[in-house]
Amino acid sequence: MQPHLKRVIILLVIALIAFIFIRSLIVPDSFGQYGWYRGESVIDNRNLQVGYAGSSSCGEENCHKTIYSIWVGSRHKAVNCEICHGPSNDHVNNVRIMPEPANESREYCGLCHFERAARPANFPQIDPETHGENLRCAYCHNPHKPWFV
Amino acid sequence: MTEGLIWGFVYPNEVEIQWSVLIVLYPYITGLVAGAFIASSLYHVFGKEEIRPVARFALLTALSFLLVATMPLLTHLGHPERGIEIMFTPHLTSAMSGFGYIYSFYLVIVAVEIWLSFREDIVKMALNSSGWRELLYSGLALFSYDISEKALHEDEKLAKKLAIIGIPSAAFLHGYVGFIFGGIKANPWWSTPLMPIIFLMSAIVSGIALLILLYIASMKLRKHPIDHKCLESLAHYLWVFLILDVALELLEIVSMKYESLEEIDIINRLLSEKIAFTFYGVQLTLGILIPFVLLLVIGLLKNRDTLKMILISISSVCVLIGVFAMRWNVVIGGQEISKSLSGTLTYVPVFFHPEGVLPALVIMTLPFIILLVVTYILPPWKDMEEETTQMGSILKKKS
Amino acid sequence: MKISRREFAKTGFRVIIGAAVSSTIIESIVTNSIAAEVSPGGGYDWKEHLWGYVVDTRKCIGCGRCANACKLENHVPFDEPVYRTWVERYRVLKDGEVKIDSPNGSINGFEDDIPAEEIKKAFYVPKICNHCEIAPCVQVCPVGATYETEDGVVLVDYDYCIGCRYCIQGCPYGARYFNTEKRTADKCTWCYHRITKGLLPACVQACPVGARIFGDLKDPESEVNKILDKERINVLKPDLGTKPKVYYVGLDREVR
Repeated sequence: MQPHLKRVIILLVIALIAFIFIRSLIVPDSFGQYGWYRGESVIDNRNLQVGYAGSSSCGEENCHKTIYSIWVGSRHKAVNCEICHGPSNDHVNNVRIMPEPANESREYCGLCHFERAARPANFPQIDPETHGENLRCAYCHNPHKPWFV
Repeated sequence: MTEGLIWGFVYPNEVEIQWSVLIVLYPYITGLVAGAFIASSLYHVFGKEEIRPVARFALLTALSFLLVATMPLLTHLGHPERGIEIMFTPHLTSAMSGFGYIYSFYLVIVAVEIWLSFREDIVKMALNSSGWRELLYSGLALFSYDISEKALHEDEKLAKKLAIIGIPSAAFLHGYVGFIFGGIKANPWWSTPLMPIIFLMSAIVSGIALLILLYIASMKLRKHPIDHKCLESLAHYLWVFLILDVALELLEIVSMKYESLEEIDIINRLLSEKIAFTFYGVQLTLGILIPFVLLLVIGLLKNRDTLKMILISISSVCVLIGVFAMRWNVVIGGQEISKSLSGTLTYVPVFFHPEGVLPALVIMTLPFIILLVVTYILPPWKDMEEETTQMGSILKKKS
Repeated sequence: MKISRREFAKTGFRVIIGAAVSSTIIESIVTNSIAAEVSPGGGYDWKEHLWGYVVDTRKCIGCGRCANACKLENHVPFDEPVYRTWVERYRVLKDGEVKIDSPNGSINGFEDDIPAEEIKKAFYVPKICNHCEIAPCVQVCPVGATYETEDGVVLVDYDYCIGCRYCIQGCPYGARYFNTEKRTADKCTWCYHRITKGLLPACVQACPVGARIFGDLKDPESEVNKILDKERINVLKPDLGTKPKVYYVGLDREVR
């Protein structure tokens, strides 16, 4: 083979080796551990911060036991504390970090309870035009025990 | 903000259109590359002598556009600095993962092909110049100055082999882009097995059209007569591939309408409302029908060289615009229908935007600047300008 | 014996090349064998679970608390039209027209702008990433930045994603979006950081009517399995072959 062609081949081989070398430096070590992805990413995804603590955390310690016991026996027991009071995991870990104050407006209760055509008929809904004038719902209904039950 | 641009129901996450005009540019540019290379192969592989004047010029054109091909992609990526991951950990189930290796492989083939076909000129220039020119050409020659018959003959053999490998490589370089779209079952406008071959046919057509225009422009700038036989031969190939291209594009639409699957309603709406003008008007009429008729007329004219040249130029411009419209209709059109099949969106290109019209224009002018530089370093002009002298000497020998 | 410079250069060249090649090969073999076949992270073994999700559209009231809780839990921007989960409203009118909408993903609820007399049938459909068994988004990722875990959750590697958005194009359900802050693709993770600690995804916990149910498909006593064994179940776009793991009860033919 002619010398100039040999030089082309040598150049290409050098490029290939440089590529392999740089690749071994750059590709993360955990890549390919479990599949065609970076194994460490699974751990990264697991370690993200939790925002919502869950209602049982509110009533557990000597924190909000009274209101919790009222709420857990009420019609709103399926409406978790944090739906109205916001994500509170930080607050559970450090009581000084207060969650957002609950939205007490009529419109907020209305998100669930205003009459809407697409809602299942057996779900408690009211006509906002005629029910309760323009008052906040909490004027008559205790959010932690909204009904007689 | 976007309310007036949405009709019907689109999934909430679809409101932002993700692939912009830059993604329209990428297949356009690689299409021009593949087309220019195939045109060059007409001489290097299939021995069509009429193409010889532009064969090396076509390779230089292919290289200039190839060097710019990654730019629209890098500009679009959320993390361009991680772009090299496509080379280091290509996920082979993804058509897009082929980009790194197919592109690099093809770049090497084109570069070596150019080097081999210009080597004699490079060595001669290295030996006959001084200063930085001597350094440049000696470097390009890889400090080897053998241009004996034997060496050049070996070069030619290797060049031919590379050109033969180059054809399927060019097909791959552009076919895989077609598969990037054709393999997406989520999008009914994209999903078809015909997509890679439609892309390839329109690529060849655009490459030949580009070559025609560049050839005419170069000869006009250099004030040199045009080899009309070469030009008409290119126009002939353009016409043939145009027929193949339109056959496939129409087949896709006819097939969709005939089978009338669930998506037909939204596809019909796309064709009649969103891309009616760019599809029927630009892609089909301006880009295919008009050039088809003009080129047909050229075949019937005799001895009207200047008129033919004008008609060929007009056809080529129409083809280039039409192929851009085709890429636009695929990329943008596909995103203007919602995957809910119940709504449409509108893409509004912005001029001053990192992924807008301005970067697109800049990226499209770069290959021409690179071509100017490349033809300055490796001039292909004697192929085109010796032709008339060669013809003269052949005629002399015969008499 | 005298070695010529040429010979020396040749040999030296070969030695260097050989050393570089063999060291890179050895390094890659060694790092891959250290990564043992062990579940990542202590305590939770992903091989013991296969997560699944059930949506009961008959119960959904369209309050949007799920979509809201998801954005808060996962720090999804509120001011951008990007959602990991959302609720769609379908209203089949008496004249046959079907109106579908999802204003701000249902986070601010729904307004009734069509009089009830004109409506024949109306319902809400919660939507979420289906964490498909054969996920097209995983198939099309060019670099391996998205994957399915052994416990059946499709996740994104935010430090590896190059932001090409091919996965967003590939998802038939519109579940993925481009996160402009991270400049990568993003999507619902079934709150992987919660479920691996025994908690529920934020949307499931937020739902006040039990329209969203989450559980372990490997546990025959789990609620999801009980529903799958008893109710009439469907998935979205079954013809595409993605094998979604979000199972719907009461999926109407109009649902896209």
